[in-house]
Amino acid sequence: MNIIEDKFSVWQKRFSLSGFENKSSELAFVQVPADQTVAFITTVRDLDGYKHLVFFTAVDLLEDGVFRLTYMLHNYTTKHDLGIQTDISRDSASMESIHHLWPHGATYQRELKEMFGIDFPGSPGVNESFVLEGWFAMPPMRRDFDTKEYSEATFFPRPGRKTFDTQEYMKEQLYPSEAETW
Amino acid sequence: MSLKDIIAPFSVWKRAFEKPYTTKKPLDERPGAARYRGFHINDMNKCIGCGTCEEICQNAAIDLVPVSKTVHGDSGLRPKIDYGRCCWCALCVDICPTSSLGMSNEYIWIDSDPEVFRFIPGHDDKPWNNSELGYRRAEGYDLLEGQRVAMPMLSFEESKKSFVEMVQGYSAEQARLEADRCIACGICVATCPAHMQVPEYIKAIRDDDMGEGLKIVYNANPLPASCGRVCSHACEYVCAVKHKGEALSIRWLKRYIIDQIYLGDYQKVLDEGEPGNGKKIAVIGSGPGGLSAAYYLSLLGYAVTIYDANDKAGGMLRYGIPEYRLPYNQIDKDVDYITSLGVEIIQNTKIGRDIPFSKIYDEFDSVFFSTGLTDPYGLDISGEDLKGVIPGLEMLDEVTKGLVPDIGSSVVVVGGGNVAMDAARTSKRYGAEVTILYRRRKEDMPADEEEIEEAQGEDCILTTQAIPLRLEKGDKTRLKLYWGKAEMVSEGPGKRPKPVLIEGSEELIECDTVITAIGQAADYSFLSEEITAKLSFKRGYVEVNEFYQTADRKIFAGGDIANPKRDAISAIANGHSAAKGIDIYLTNFRKLN
Ligand SMILES: Cc1cc2nc3c(=O)[nH]c(=O)nc-3n(C[C@H](O)[C@H](O)[C@H](O)COP(=O)(O)OP(=O)(O)OC[C@H]3O[C@@H](n4cnc5c(N)ncnc54)[C@H](O)[C@@H]3O)c2cc1C
Ligand code: SF4
Ligand code: SF4
Repeated sequence: MNIIEDKFSVWQKRFSLSGFENKSSELAFVQVPADQTVAFITTVRDLDGYKHLVFFTAVDLLEDGVFRLTYMLHNYTTKHDLGIQTDISRDSASMESIHHLWPHGATYQRELKEMFGIDFPGSPGVNESFVLEGWFAMPPMRRDFDTKEYSEATFFPRPGRKTFDTQEYMKEQLYPSEAETW
Repeated sequence: MSLKDIIAPFSVWKRAFEKPYTTKKPLDERPGAARYRGFHINDMNKCIGCGTCEEICQNAAIDLVPVSKTVHGDSGLRPKIDYGRCCWCALCVDICPTSSLGMSNEYIWIDSDPEVFRFIPGHDDKPWNNSELGYRRAEGYDLLEGQRVAMPMLSFEESKKSFVEMVQGYSAEQARLEADRCIACGICVATCPAHMQVPEYIKAIRDDDMGEGLKIVYNANPLPASCGRVCSHACEYVCAVKHKGEALSIRWLKRYIIDQIYLGDYQKVLDEGEPGNGKKIAVIGSGPGGLSAAYYLSLLGYAVTIYDANDKAGGMLRYGIPEYRLPYNQIDKDVDYITSLGVEIIQNTKIGRDIPFSKIYDEFDSVFFSTGLTDPYGLDISGEDLKGVIPGLEMLDEVTKGLVPDIGSSVVVVGGGNVAMDAARTSKRYGAEVTILYRRRKEDMPADEEEIEEAQGEDCILTTQAIPLRLEKGDKTRLKLYWGKAEMVSEGPGKRPKPVLIEGSEELIECDTVITAIGQAADYSFLSEEITAKLSFKRGYVEVNEFYQTADRKIFAGGDIANPKRDAISAIANGHSAAKGIDIYLTNFRKLN
């Protein structure tokens, strides 16, 4: 058993971890229930040396009705990365903040609010625009956001644009006769 | 102020003569990275105007506009991009089936006129048109699937032993996977002689809606169980996905739809047509042309009677094509639905022999004939009348009728078309050793590629550039066939080379049977003299207008006697056009007579 697997069995005694995946000697993932996530992160930061938040991101698992959050932490001593994953419901998505652990966590949370609509109550500036100033539509990284529909409704075609349908155009050019089609 | 603060400016000064890290202004050149996504490039010769780039663009930045001549497999349209909307995501580049579309690494272009930022890459003159650098679809990553879902087939070992259907058909899962490869560009529709709505019926398979699929298919083809098996599938030769490897299996997807629905359920789905209008149409010949005309005429409310010389309906589909390619019960399925609509088929009745053409002409409001090609060409060599020399058509006809053809144990088939392949493979199934002799090269053979491959797979020996010279009675075998080697002589650019006998070359094959399959001609003797004089004929074809109407306005004709493609789907398309023509003639024109 390597060190990280040892640690996992220690963590498991205190948290109800639902999964563990050892990707390589430098990277492991652990799945934690949402209500224990911040406590778990605090533990590994303060007791296990994962002092650096590398990134914090989300994936929309539309079919399962959840957002999967991934907090990637780094231990400078062991040069080990630990990905902490938790699923939260897509409906009125909200998660405990980590800005008190890392100030730049607030920036990630502001981005996640804007792109996915995930709220982090208490996180400084979480409701301010991140990059999409004046955005009113559904958060664009949600997979049910219809990019094409949005773009058609928002941006008007330049005057004089005209397109031809391949099938129709080929009919006009190659078999315009009515006899050939009903 | 600390000492450090006082010294700092001096320590900075000491760097004044080092090479700076920053870029000097003004900037003259700012090349994009090698794979930068700059303005598009498009190879005009490779692009086929399929419109897939336009379809995938999430910003609606692409229009397809006419640029070059429309030909089969290339709409002649080309993408025009509005850079006011393009977000440089390169999805269009990634999906382009021909890989004609790419991006240069040029991104700097300043102009006060916004209109110049809408142009046709590759067509409009731009300095980056030949750019080697810039984004291209990365190797090893593809949004489209170039390989077909493999069709379950009998092995050659098994297939050559019996008349069991060789192609076994897709399962639901296989069909859906295959249907998923279609990009719905519709380039194939122009090339299908019947202009079937291919992307629409493929979509029905993706949606698992067989009823919808059946309806779409019957809009343009009332013989789909047969065509789903033996169609010459011109559509597949132009399929956009073929540029990625293999074309969609269009023919077999059509077959899949038909195989899922019982004949008894057809009428729940398909249109019954209009009520009877009291007019009567005679159709001569129950091949694909005749059946198709009958089907569409009956939908239009006409009472249709088909006269056919054979015992059963289907024409060459039944009496030509062997069962291992097209089982008779599949022809029955197609025919039975047509007769269930009230179309009457009178079999064993040859017009011109059993009933005079003039009688039919007088009794019906209009006549359509699609009588096919029944007279095989001879080899025109000595000994041709010896016992053991038979036309391929005759042999295939006997097999359909349940007779065992008298071919002995060794057969030579002369010809390179589908009739030749069918005769060869049928002979194989009766246990004969088979050699196919063809005058030209393999690549010149008119038979479908897969037919040739399968014939060879079943151990038929293919000898090309071989010209039959004479036939003699054999010693151990029934016949001796002497043949000479041909060399291919160029006939000039763009023309196919001609086989010319190499003087003095002579080879011998001893065999029991020689099957001739070098083509067949029409037999118009059933038409009365008066009618024959009225109609016009050119190189064996009856001359017709776009509605397949002959010089006698009451008579329409189609199928192998009226179109040079000489395949089932063209006959079906002709029958369809003729049905429309007859309707126009009877409802609009007749009153003027
Ligand atoms: C061996 C063989 C293999 C082929 N393979 C393929 C293939 O794989 N794919 C493909 O698309 N095509 C194939 N073809 C071609 C295809 O069968 C024909 O193009 C098609 O059947 C033509 O249809 P048609 O309506 O013109 O006439 P036909 O199918 O030839 O039918 C004509 C009908 O008219 C009847 N008839 C003729 N004269 C009279 C008369 N005086 N009175 C009453 N009835 C009459 C005949 O009995 C016959 O039933 C093949 C043909 C042959 C011979
Ligand atoms: S997808 Fe490719 S081949 Fe098709 S129109 Fe666009 S550039 Fe041309
Ligand atoms: S079958 Fe091929 S050519 Fe036809 S619509 Fe689909 S992708 Fe396009």
